[in-house]
Amino acid sequence: MPNLSSKKEIFLTGLWKDNPVLRQVLGICSTLAVTNLMVNTLVMDAGLIFTVCMSSLTVSLLRNYTPMRIRMMVQTLIIASYVIIVDIIIKAHLPDISEALGPYVALIITNCIIMGRCEAFARNNPPLASFLDGLGMSLGYSLILITIAFIREPLGFGTLLGIRVMPEGFVQWTIMIMAPGAFFTLGILVWISKYILPNAKNGVERK
Amino acid sequence: MTKQLRSVVYMFLISLFFASLVSAVKHLNEKTIASNQALKLQRIILKVLEIPVEKNTPDDQISRLFMERIKNIQVEDRILYVGYEEDAHTILGYAFPVGGPGFWGPIQGMVGVDPEVTKVLGIAFTKHSETPGLGGRITEDWFSSQFKGLPLHPIDGDKKIFYLKPAGTTGAPNELDAITGATNTSSAVETFLNDELDYFLKELWTTVEERE
Repeated sequence: MPNLSSKKEIFLTGLWKDNPVLRQVLGICSTLAVTNLMVNTLVMDAGLIFTVCMSSLTVSLLRNYTPMRIRMMVQTLIIASYVIIVDIIIKAHLPDISEALGPYVALIITNCIIMGRCEAFARNNPPLASFLDGLGMSLGYSLILITIAFIREPLGFGTLLGIRVMPEGFVQWTIMIMAPGAFFTLGILVWISKYILPNAKNGVERK
Repeated sequence: MTKQLRSVVYMFLISLFFASLVSAVKHLNEKTIASNQALKLQRIILKVLEIPVEKNTPDDQISRLFMERIKNIQVEDRILYVGYEEDAHTILGYAFPVGGPGFWGPIQGMVGVDPEVTKVLGIAFTKHSETPGLGGRITEDWFSSQFKGLPLHPIDGDKKIFYLKPAGTTGAPNELDAITGATNTSSAVETFLNDELDYFLKELWTTVEERE
């Protein structure tokens, strides 16, 4: 990727221009699953930011030593290790949230953004750039998830971060609690983003 | 050949390193995780036996209260928790775990009953995979508190101990409100909980008679 001149640009590409959820449509499973409550969303985001950054950094550090043929195996091992660590730490220190998130923490492993970044960026770029790329991508993911949760939780439960924000007589939108609610919200966001985000042709990623 | 060997050695070393890392993190947190789980169980048992516990009661106080007031014995395939009054020898009630299939996955819960095993003191659903906001509402207070005072001997002519009926159509003491919009979860709860009560209460009645 010769166009990536500065570190700042790498970071902003992930965060906005090539947003993993809106543009690359990756990590949709967790986007639909955990965004009905803001608290769950924030914990999921923290878990993903840690995993993406650390995996990208590690893959990048090992990039000159890892044999080409087994690189996928190595990446999966690295990602799985970090995810298990996140899972253990959430279980030990945030037991209530661990229960609410259920299997989704362990399923961070299957989040396409992580392996996508390892394959597309980290294995060909130096550690700092890879770390920044991971940070930008995961923050871009978090930004969209928080936006969706910000729409879903008030409409579905009438609350935000567990605090009541809707008037007393508000009828909760049951569909917003379930996955289809997230699906529609995400669809609308992607649609809007088509007009706001810079046109793909002027973007950086051309393959 | 050397290339292949190198890959194998490399993979082995990488695996060894990350496996050690994960094991170390697990080892460091194992005790906290186990005590979190134990505390959660203790809180639930105290709650279904109506021993007053607030949500913000400190953890060490919960453990102390549990040690003083609860003893457990094995009855058939499960643990029976015997709750005592503050004087430590009058029995206050019994609590036992129940479980069965829900709509999406298994549901687990805890039931507390009075010393004569005639009515429910409290019930809590502890683990489930029902839809949040719909079937998931079985963990809400309004649902579980309906079970308080439920008579455990089926009323004449009834086959089941309790029925879940659409809200607003309930009358008899063994008719409770089902969850609106979660018909499948409601009927799953009705089925498995009645079966579980039917099975375990017989054991419990026998045990209680033996102990008297």
